[in-house]
Amino acid sequence: RLTQVRWSRYNPSFLEPEVNKEFYQKPWEALSEEEKEKLELRAVQPIKAAPPSVSSSVFSDPMISKFTNMMMKDGNKVLARSLMAQTLEAIKRKQLEKYHKAPEDEKETIECNPYVIFHQALKNCQPIIGLSSITRGGKTYQVPVPLKDNRKRFLAMKWLITECRENKNRRMLMPEKLSQELLQAFNNEGPIIKKKHVLHKMAEANRAYAHFRWW
Amino acid sequence: LRLTYSTTAVQRKNVGASGPEKYTEEFIKKQIEEFNLGKRHLANMMGEDPETFTQKDIDRAIAYLFPSGLFDKKARPMMKHPTEIFPEQRKIQWGEDGRPFHFLFYTGKQSYYSLMHETYEKLLNVEKYQDQLTAQDLPTQKEKSNLAGSRWLTKIELEEMLLEKLSDGDYSRFIQLLEKLAALPCGDIEEKYIQKFSKEVPVQLQKVVIEPLKYDERGVAFSTSTGSRKTARATAIVYDNGTGKITVNGIDVLHYFPVLQDREQLLFPFQFLDRVGKHDMVCTVSGGGRSAQAGAIRLASAKALRSFVTEKEVEFMRQAGLLTVDPRVKERKKPGQEGARRKFTWKKR
Repeated sequence: RLTQVRWSRYNPSFLEPEVNKEFYQKPWEALSEEEKEKLELRAVQPIKAAPPSVSSSVFSDPMISKFTNMMMKDGNKVLARSLMAQTLEAIKRKQLEKYHKAPEDEKETIECNPYVIFHQALKNCQPIIGLSSITRGGKTYQVPVPLKDNRKRFLAMKWLITECRENKNRRMLMPEKLSQELLQAFNNEGPIIKKKHVLHKMAEANRAYAHFRWW
Repeated sequence: LRLTYSTTAVQRKNVGASGPEKYTEEFIKKQIEEFNLGKRHLANMMGEDPETFTQKDIDRAIAYLFPSGLFDKKARPMMKHPTEIFPEQRKIQWGEDGRPFHFLFYTGKQSYYSLMHETYEKLLNVEKYQDQLTAQDLPTQKEKSNLAGSRWLTKIELEEMLLEKLSDGDYSRFIQLLEKLAALPCGDIEEKYIQKFSKEVPVQLQKVVIEPLKYDERGVAFSTSTGSRKTARATAIVYDNGTGKITVNGIDVLHYFPVLQDREQLLFPFQFLDRVGKHDMVCTVSGGGRSAQAGAIRLASAKALRSFVTEKEVEFMRQAGLLTVDPRVKERKKPGQEGARRKFTWKKR
């Protein structure tokens, strides 16, 4: 379509802002052809304003902000952010405890950085292939379909959040449960990894219908 | 497909393709004569020289003689050259015997298809030239044409050029062909043809004047500016040789913005330029909510920092989105709906 249904207050010629500082510190010669073209284009076109959740400091991470937004309820960003901070703190505490208890040779293998754990856990949770329902001749088949990166990330985050909201004891708070799930996912165990494997098995079982996909 | 829009071009209607011409040529000629005569009379009336009376002077004179309070500019009395008032329309396409002039008349969109044929012919020419060069083992060069500075004609502009209605699919096919032609290595031969369909985008978007630094009684350099976001309005005064203290409405920043996100936003411009502990800031802000006030102060401080920093860094700030006013505001509530987007509960009966 040439005309959009969803519209934004910006003119379509506005480009997304680039907040990362290193992008601007690269010298001119080190850039490849494509990057030079991109820079030239950016020099001429107007740029949108940076959103309030994004900043150039080392502490802001796009993945973490996305996860915080998904955890948010009724627009309460303050609460969601504090929960996220408490989760990362809980992960750090648990890992430090393990670190101090472990013998000398294992100390190097224990990962203490909560951001690294978060990213790795999300990556482990991402499914590779998904199912999509296609109706042929009255019957609906579940057809295995390759997923896009965005969709994989979204599914991993969604599974994490629903898992934490539903399967916890009455007394347990969200940060603790989340940190538990993240550490389990980091070690490739736990209910979310199981869910991912179940999805893969279903896709493998429905392999016969793969030819129904036309895209 | 990279489609670019311009606000004025999209709104215009294409009158040219609505049908064969309603005004004969002699009528248009008479109108032009009357216009020129009227221009001289008007110049006489206003006491100015009839020879050097431009269109702007005509507009001013008409606005003076016939003041109108109407809101729509197009509804006010105007005096323009007949070619601007009577739009160009297609002439009758067939002769006296009923036989059409153009060989593609019965396709329905004769000018569009003839244009496509012409463009494709140019493409084949370029390919032939390329083959000749490779046969003679000469290198096929390509000069980097400035893709950034030009855009293709919009659908409305193309329709006005061809005096025919086009569909979206037709338009996109044509643009695809043009891009293919422009992308070929030896496409420079047909440069003139391509330039007919491309327009210059105004390269420098409003050169903003950076104010020079002012010095206060203690000799410290400072700079002031304003920023806004949603309904919040802020003014910021950034002092040099500071310790990184920020005061908002007379209150320290830690007390005014208890949320970490807002303080991050305030520090964003300083952190981006690596000047975190070097400047002091005093701001006043009113209106809006917590996040809007933070955004307004961020914009104000970024604008104030422009005076302290080199031009290249100003460009970097602009590309990071620090210097653009955020146009997003609360969407209005529509009648028949509960909110801006939410509809009333659907009841079956």
